[in-house]
Amino acid sequence: MSKGKMTPSQKRQAIWGWAFITPTMLGLIILNFYPAINTVYQSLCKTGDFGKGNKFVGLANYQAVIGNTETWQSLWNTVKYAIVEVPLGIVIALILAVLLQNKLPGKGFFRTLFFLPMVCAPAAVAMVWKWLYNQQFGLLNNFFHTNAAWISDPNIAWISVGIIGVWSIIGYNMVLFIGGLQEIPKDYYEAAQIDGASGLSQFFNITVPLLSPTTFFIVQTRIIGALTVFDLMFMVMDKTNLALNKTQSIVYLFYTYAFTNSNRGYGAAIVVVLVVFIMITTLFLQKLEKKIVFYN
Amino acid sequence: MKKKALALVLSTVIAAGMVGCGSSDSGNTGAANENVTDTAENTDTASGSSEGGYSTDQITINIWDANQQEGIQQIADDWTATSGVKCSVEVIDWDNYWTLLEAGASGGEMPDVFWMHSNTAQMYMENDILLDLTDYIANDASIDKANYYEGVWDLYSSNGKQYALPKDHDTIALLYNKAIFDQYGVEYPTDNWTWEDMYEAAKKITEGSNGEVYGMAMNTSNNQDGWYNLVYDYGAQVITDDHKGTTIGSDEGKAGMEMCRKLLTVGAPQSVVAETGTDSLFMSGKTAMITQGSWMINSFYKAENHADYAWSMLPYADVNGNGSCDAGERYSAYNGLGWAANANVADPKACYDLIAYFCSEEGQKKQAELGVTMGGMKGVSEAFSGAFEGMDVSAFVRAEEEGDLFFRPYTRNTTVWEDALQQAGGFLDAWQNPEDAATMATACDNAQKIIEDAIAAE
Repeated sequence: MSKGKMTPSQKRQAIWGWAFITPTMLGLIILNFYPAINTVYQSLCKTGDFGKGNKFVGLANYQAVIGNTETWQSLWNTVKYAIVEVPLGIVIALILAVLLQNKLPGKGFFRTLFFLPMVCAPAAVAMVWKWLYNQQFGLLNNFFHTNAAWISDPNIAWISVGIIGVWSIIGYNMVLFIGGLQEIPKDYYEAAQIDGASGLSQFFNITVPLLSPTTFFIVQTRIIGALTVFDLMFMVMDKTNLALNKTQSIVYLFYTYAFTNSNRGYGAAIVVVLVVFIMITTLFLQKLEKKIVFYN
Repeated sequence: MKKKALALVLSTVIAAGMVGCGSSDSGNTGAANENVTDTAENTDTASGSSEGGYSTDQITINIWDANQQEGIQQIADDWTATSGVKCSVEVIDWDNYWTLLEAGASGGEMPDVFWMHSNTAQMYMENDILLDLTDYIANDASIDKANYYEGVWDLYSSNGKQYALPKDHDTIALLYNKAIFDQYGVEYPTDNWTWEDMYEAAKKITEGSNGEVYGMAMNTSNNQDGWYNLVYDYGAQVITDDHKGTTIGSDEGKAGMEMCRKLLTVGAPQSVVAETGTDSLFMSGKTAMITQGSWMINSFYKAENHADYAWSMLPYADVNGNGSCDAGERYSAYNGLGWAANANVADPKACYDLIAYFCSEEGQKKQAELGVTMGGMKGVSEAFSGAFEGMDVSAFVRAEEEGDLFFRPYTRNTTVWEDALQQAGGFLDAWQNPEDAATMATACDNAQKIIEDAIAAE
């Protein structure tokens, strides 16, 4: 195709093309790009009340954010949450997906059952789990006859919160894995069976490598998702909870500063730090992709 | 074929859902319009007496307390009957209320009429977010500053302008479960109790039940309805009168918090109250005593075992040791909400008239009679004690007559230090570790610094 003038029909097509993408473009610009740029701007200001009277202060907010141990504790809490949620969420979802690939009575029922948590509002999920975990009246302590402070013992609260995350994400990961499994040609398994490979060895030598693009996609999106977690901590952890310091995520910290304390500039700086951290993580993952992901 | 049919069914369901939402909305407004025309006819017949002539036919009211919704709506409906302007009361829970209000104030949809609170009033007033009521009040013979609680009235004035009218005031009392006291053979609380007496009673119950039932429960978040009162009883102030400092780290402040620490040693542990909340613990019979504010009566009045519940005045601190409660030894925090309106509302006159009705003697008396809250106007709250048949809530009114009231401590950005005091680095460490007196003393010093730093940054 040469880069010459467009024919009338090409022009018409181009106009229609633009017409179709304009709404999305406008949405992106107004709802995504503008707020993003505004956030960076605000992070350089001492913000006034109600978005009025911003005073430019340069990097003062960043100095304060980076110099505050609270920031690093929250970032570490977020990473710990990701360490629980991402691997567990993926391994369990993969096992479920493989099992639900087989011919199984009630397959549809189970698929629906495991996907259901995805349909629930996160706030509702958190409320229910909060009561399951309750030390006095909670189902868990009653069932196991324990007296564990699941969500107010700083040593285990982060795991408890992580488990809620795993529970809510399994269905989503499972559906993606099922999609990936259906892409794998049956011939490989038949050939392996003829060669006498066991189910387990089929799984590790065929399923896992051929599924790696899907796995990688899930790993990457889930890591980003886990690093921006907010609603679980916000709903489950009471403000006077002993373990709050050891579980609050970095977005929770942002919420506290930006909305509870009305210190938007400081909040914006926290968010920018988080974005940079996510960028570095993603870059690292992209480098890793070339080494470990197997594309036919 | 089957798949196609399924897809068709699904898309119809989704479409129906969308249409359903839309139609139910229009159904509501349809009904609202009908009501408006109904009441408009009413005002026509009663015209002449009512001022009428409002340019709006709908006022939206936002509040954060679901317990009060029914009563507020009833009072607003009374006003609708004479004005012809329909009012709808919407409840948004405390945390989201402020997030939404602030977002609305920064350039979005704000409710027409809403509650203001001491935590944030200053910021809203200084930025002209609220409708200036000064001139309306000056021209309104029915509103006289002298009739209202001074602390509440002054809270909502800034630079000589008045931005809200006092809706209510509240006091604090001690709530106890008679059944638990009977079971462990402990005498009921009286108005002559000192905090030491409360400690002894709580100790007997906690020890008598081997920790099955806690004698008392208090969380760091129980400030206005809890430990603030102890600080004042022992002679210190969380925020000084000029709102520019604190004496919480003084010897008096430490003495108050030391008493608090002592109570905590026989109360519910921090991990329990943080997860379950003192109200739920009380209602499930897990704790014998809590301190609570008058705004919460309704939920205890409606609770399952409400026959066992009784109120008495807050204990006092016998600082001079003469065995009787002298002036300054018993305090109850009080706070008052204000009715405010959005500065950019289409019809400010209608909003003011509604607010003025809420705060008129008639509206205030009705508020007390319905058991919504005690009034922001003086002398209208007697009916409040009678609003809860079978439950004696006169302790709240006595707290006002016999005890000293102090206005809930506030500064320009109250939430900043208030939240910090509740968390680790503030009093939470001492709450977690009530056996250790040194931790509480350190916490008082930390609190002094937290508040001073926050005020310096304001």
